Amino acid sequence: MAAADALLTGLPVSTLRGATPLLFVLLGECLTQRAGRINLGVEGQMLVGAAAGYGVTALSGSPALGLAAGAAAGALLSTVFAVLTVAVDADPFASGLAVWMLGFGVSAFAGTALVGLRIDGWMPWAGGITPTIALALALVPVCGFGLLHTRTGLRWRAVGESPEHARAAGVTPWHYIVAGVLVGGVLSGLGGAALSVDYTRTWAEGMTAGRGLVAVGLVIVARWNPWLALPAALLFGLAEALSLRLQAADSAVSAHLLHTLPYLASLGVFAITCARLRRRPGGGAPAALGALLAR
Amino acid sequence: MAPVELRLNGLCKRFRDVVAVHDASLVIRGGEVLALLGENGAGKSTLMRLAYGMVRPDAGHIEIDARRVRFDAPRDAVAAGIGMVFQQFSLIDTLSVRENLALAWPRAPWWLGRDARRPGALDAHLARLVPGVDPRARTGDLAVGVRQQIEIAKVLLREARCVILDEPTAVLTPAEAGALHARVRALARDGFAVVLITHKTADVRACADRVAVMRAGRVVGEAPAADAADARIVEWMVGVAPAPAAARPARAADTPVRLSVRGLCAGPVRDVALDVHAGEIVAVAGVSGSGQVALAEALTGLRPLDAGQVTLDGQALRAPGRPARPVAALAAIPADPRRTAIAPSRSLAVNLALKRLAVQPWRVRRAALEEQARAPIARFDVRPPDPRRPAGTLSGGNLQKLVIARELQGDPTAVVACYPTMGLDVVATAQVRDAMLTLAANGCAVLWFGEDLDDLLAHAHRIVVMFDGRLVADLDAHTATPQQVGVWMSGHAIAPDPLRQAA
Amino acid sequence: MTTVAALAATPLRAAFVRAAAAIGVFAALASLFFVSIGQPPATMFVEIARAAAGSGYAVGESLVRATPIMLCALATLVPARLGLVSVGADGQLYAGAIVGTGALLAWPLAPGPVLLSAVLVGGAIGGALWALGPALLRAFVPVHETISTLMLNWVAAMLVTWLVHGAWRNPASQGWPASIEFPDTARLPVLGDSRVHAGLALALVLAVVLHAVLTRTRSGLVLDVLRDNPRLQAVTGCAVAPRIVATMLVGGAFAGLAGIVETSVVQGRLQSDLANGAGLAGFLVAWLAGNRVPQTVALALLVGAVLAAGDGLQIATAVPSSATLVVQGLMFVALLAVGGASARWRGVGHGRG
Repeated sequence: MAAADALLTGLPVSTLRGATPLLFVLLGECLTQRAGRINLGVEGQMLVGAAAGYGVTALSGSPALGLAAGAAAGALLSTVFAVLTVAVDADPFASGLAVWMLGFGVSAFAGTALVGLRIDGWMPWAGGITPTIALALALVPVCGFGLLHTRTGLRWRAVGESPEHARAAGVTPWHYIVAGVLVGGVLSGLGGAALSVDYTRTWAEGMTAGRGLVAVGLVIVARWNPWLALPAALLFGLAEALSLRLQAADSAVSAHLLHTLPYLASLGVFAITCARLRRRPGGGAPAALGALLAR
Repeated sequence: MAPVELRLNGLCKRFRDVVAVHDASLVIRGGEVLALLGENGAGKSTLMRLAYGMVRPDAGHIEIDARRVRFDAPRDAVAAGIGMVFQQFSLIDTLSVRENLALAWPRAPWWLGRDARRPGALDAHLARLVPGVDPRARTGDLAVGVRQQIEIAKVLLREARCVILDEPTAVLTPAEAGALHARVRALARDGFAVVLITHKTADVRACADRVAVMRAGRVVGEAPAADAADARIVEWMVGVAPAPAAARPARAADTPVRLSVRGLCAGPVRDVALDVHAGEIVAVAGVSGSGQVALAEALTGLRPLDAGQVTLDGQALRAPGRPARPVAALAAIPADPRRTAIAPSRSLAVNLALKRLAVQPWRVRRAALEEQARAPIARFDVRPPDPRRPAGTLSGGNLQKLVIARELQGDPTAVVACYPTMGLDVVATAQVRDAMLTLAANGCAVLWFGEDLDDLLAHAHRIVVMFDGRLVADLDAHTATPQQVGVWMSGHAIAPDPLRQAA
Repeated sequence: MTTVAALAATPLRAAFVRAAAAIGVFAALASLFFVSIGQPPATMFVEIARAAAGSGYAVGESLVRATPIMLCALATLVPARLGLVSVGADGQLYAGAIVGTGALLAWPLAPGPVLLSAVLVGGAIGGALWALGPALLRAFVPVHETISTLMLNWVAAMLVTWLVHGAWRNPASQGWPASIEFPDTARLPVLGDSRVHAGLALALVLAVVLHAVLTRTRSGLVLDVLRDNPRLQAVTGCAVAPRIVATMLVGGAFAGLAGIVETSVVQGRLQSDLANGAGLAGFLVAWLAGNRVPQTVALALLVGAVLAAGDGLQIATAVPSSATLVVQGLMFVALLAVGGASARWRGVGHGRG
């Protein structure tokens, strides 16, 4: 009974905390994919965001500046993806992986200077909510309403559905694709910074450990809908919170094994979503992506 | 609204080594319907794309109301009051009708609101031009005729003064085409300039004031519609007087059933039963989206069967759960062969051997494949006759001939051909049609899915009509009229609801 | 633009122009990076060249680094011949290392040739098994293989960490979590006193065989046809699903081999982080080589040299070796940019946007 209490007390907040970095990335990648690009480079963008955010927070003492620096770093790296896939039309999968590799390298290189630095981060408000969590939660309706109920959002979606038709309607597709990639860069950088500045409050090489790529899969689970990004991120957060608590509770299962739980849970819901999408062709996938995913 | 005058002066456009439009000049005036005729590939669509800013001319210029303009993108043309309705509609299927209109509306508000809360100006416009359609409906779920009306509403929403319609009647039933002709006349009466791109002289008779004909990238003839006899238009289009169409082969009575379909369900296709006899040509007609492509896919193995059975000469051909295997006795010519029947980056030789791919020797000898390819390439005059050339580089007609050459290699006893002449020029169309007629004359069972009713009625022995996934009529092609078939195609004989969703 | 078009008039010249452009773009990007970290670019390039190929030892190190990348590139290439985008080489590499090491732990005293074969075959089987899940999911659900293989990479890496911290930990290795050392009987032979091992020869032989199968046999032709147009399974009677599973398994086996070779010969024991980015680098190598075997082998050797140069650089110039990761990333970006731009000029780009 006591063990169960230890497992469940404060679980909602822990879930939310674990979900927050992922929620940023998920929203960003959702907007990127809605404009018709899959960016696997979010992993690298998160890493540079985490490194920049941690470094600036340590130097300035301001977590807010840290988050801003993370967002800027993520956006900067995403311009590489934008140039590769828009200006020269390179393969999006390979471009994403190259950006990931570059981001990993840059963050590892810059990160050597961060080892040993300490940061304080934000004091949580009542109930364990930090400004980072509040910002992530606030972005859900911003993205949801913005994408689904505004003129800009409509054009954004139209470009993702069909650049040719959007062009025929008087929209310039590449503006929106680049915007989609850059917004994805800002939000993945924010997500990385949220991870290092607010969640773990440490810096370690490769610390995002695949969260960006999990987000790419969870976008599909969320059916490319910003509103559904919240439950998808919470699912990952819950799996992570449970795995941490099971470790703390001296579970018979090794901590290293428990670490795989969030990934397996994400893969599970991803597979289930794909199976369900099969019965509804397209299933809400931006059509320009559908062609890419169905090949 | 002041009537517009759009002048195209000496426009030229090349795509790589193909001259699409050469020194074409044309005047388009408000209050007038101009029918722009020409064979496929004559350059009429490209000329109008130049006028709409989708492609930029290599030479020549455009004037509107005597002022020289330059279009870098469709946006510029739209701003100048030109609108275009494409054959492949530019509506986005996954968006609602209202969203599609809002996308095209320059004065769309920043906040579009939640569904159904703000009817507003958009919906009033929609109700006026396309009465009875639900603005929240997913565009892809609507019938083709309705989508075309939405497309026209979209163009008018952008305050176009000149409306260009690209082959608008190709996808419509005779009744829907009649409604469109009336709409076009009404637009001209209201002062709009209307350009109707078509290859049917029937469209000219129904609503045009003036005719312009293109051939090989040039405007070769222009006349008031009343003065241009059909034969003269066709001669302009083809360059020679039209050859008489081949007659349908006479058919002996009581030939055996070759292709038999029983209780077939596959995707949108519901409970189809059909027999095709030796030497018989059975045409399948239907408005696009009625399930005929799905039926052809099920018969040719591209789509799995949910239920039912297909036999060929008494042998099981298709059944649920049965993997598709190539059958020499069945020539399968699917719709859109570039996507369904061809490996575009592989050579002609490999593409001709696809049906025998699984039984090739373990070690593939390309020289042998190329040698085997020469005879079928020569027989069907595939050009260029280079067995090493990637199939994807062929023109539409030669690609179609390549597929037919492959499928006829095994001396088939049945042919299933889905839109075999779509996109072909006159000469290629005649070649493909003659090949089918010859096959029927030699005792083959031919099932022909077609788009041109007149063509089907002239060459088939029987015509069956599909609507909403079912076969709803089985008529003798010798006596059936296009009007009769059209009534069945539109489903009016069953359910009198023109806005019925094509699900 | 006109001059470039004129220069690129023949295929050979076009390839030459592309290569020159890629080198130019890469040099520019890398110079920018070196300047920004306060190093003279010219010196750095010379140092890199020296560290990559300046001596017999340097060449050997380059070949050692190239071996797992080459195998991982082949692991990407085989499914890609059917149009699949598998990014699971890292996970398959770890899985191969696990099963291969498991074979050693199961029969540590088996006679040399038997043990060596068991270890290598175990590696291949492990990699193939790790690919089996995504393969079945893709063939029969379908779940997109790019994302499922990527997610499983982390799972496999954590399994290795779990094993070397727990059940398979060598008590004699003090603080460092690792398995027991591979005995010499379980290691592939090494060339002279260098670190170059028979794994490289194995990879090259496999590459030659693979090239022959893909270009000369019916199986290779069927893959080409189905990649071009999966709907042709109805025309040819060759089903796509079994071939998805087969190519994924063969690819997995290649990556698994990379894992066990790296574990047994180079590192000598199972430990965390043994992939060292080989899977990701391998993916990009195969992709940039257009999924053709000869080009893949050549590019893998080049990338191995750059990475080995980084290790040498760290010693020679005190620039951290993570700088090499940046340089490697810039190299791939340059190659992608030039490849994409030339495809766009020739009008065969992806055309989406």
